[in-house]
Amino acid sequence: MHRRSIALVVLVFALALPLSASQFLQLPFDRLARESTLIVRGTLGNTWSAWDDAHQVIYTYATVRVQRYFGESTGPDTLLVREVGGTVGDYTQEAIGFPTLRDGQDVVLFLGKWEDGVAYRIHAYNQGKLLVSMRGGVERLVEDPERQGEARESHGAAPALRVESEGLTIDELAEMVDAARAGRPVAERQQQ
Amino acid sequence: MRKQTLFALTITTILVAASASPVLAYTLLSPRRRWATTPVTVRVYSVGNSTITDADHGVSAVVSAIRAWGIISSSSTTSAAVRGSAPATIMLNTDGGVCTGSCLAATLTGYYVSQTGDDRIYDADIYTNQAYDYYSSGESSCSGEYDINGIMTHEVGHVIGIGHSSVAGATMYPSVGACNLNPRSLASDDIAARDDLY
Repeated sequence: MHRRSIALVVLVFALALPLSASQFLQLPFDRLARESTLIVRGTLGNTWSAWDDAHQVIYTYATVRVQRYFGESTGPDTLLVREVGGTVGDYTQEAIGFPTLRDGQDVVLFLGKWEDGVAYRIHAYNQGKLLVSMRGGVERLVEDPERQGEARESHGAAPALRVESEGLTIDELAEMVDAARAGRPVAERQQQ
Repeated sequence: MRKQTLFALTITTILVAASASPVLAYTLLSPRRRWATTPVTVRVYSVGNSTITDADHGVSAVVSAIRAWGIISSSSTTSAAVRGSAPATIMLNTDGGVCTGSCLAATLTGYYVSQTGDDRIYDADIYTNQAYDYYSSGESSCSGEYDINGIMTHEVGHVIGIGHSSVAGATMYPSVGACNLNPRSLASDDIAARDDLY
């Protein structure tokens, strides 16, 4: 319980670090979990980008091979996720600070539905995407350091604090999701 | 339990203090990119935000605020943003279908990758979440609202190719709270980023 509390505090702050967002509000975890239609652990594959019908927005699509559903939700083995931004030919359109979708990423995603109902989108932007990382022989959840337009050219000191935390385990996250969806408090509200 | 709480609070305090360290650390969008010429033309759509109670719902306030960058030619326009086509346009009256939920404002930029590594920004448009209340310099007092002058000055920083800064108080600092007016004024870190690109 003690280790999990510390890990949660660190995770919440890791998700609130400066590189994590353009101008977004930071949702408390319980709200993030309750508002998400689906919360899944899976692997991204088969990503592609295309203009919308009006040729105004480039979207990137990815299939998610789902290995686990969190909370009370269940669903198909494969989901389609769509995010604004991508490259078609030599033209790139980016939504600055929005999450990226990369082939092969092992992730936990908090998902909502797009209005057209065709695909899912990551809920609360980068807050809704965690990478699964093997640390000390245990799978742990860490923030995704990559965002659209992410600045890799820094000047002076490092552009953002990086927290090398242990991260939550998958099972710890599952407990937190269950608690949040049952209306039980899981953490102090944190908002920026 | 008290020890655990104390330990958690200590870690929290350290993280907050570290993330607010006053270091010079502007960043540029990656890949590095800029507009071909200056001043950069930015238009503000003439239909403003309904939560702003000044004379034109924030349009004039934003037109003036974004000139803080010194390389912006701004005015209002009756033409809504067309994504993928210049000029850069600020939409105060719509989320564009992309900025909802926890998003306050979003900038979409488009650029062509050049063979020489000198990438050029071709278009940029800004959308505003309609779920929140905003405040402008044309209003008398701010209460629980988000300052549209500062938000759009920050977003226009992205429009011209600048990323986030870890300098608390800089316009390009990524977080903003209600009634925080600091982002209206460029910090030396913001100016250094602009001068690096242009």
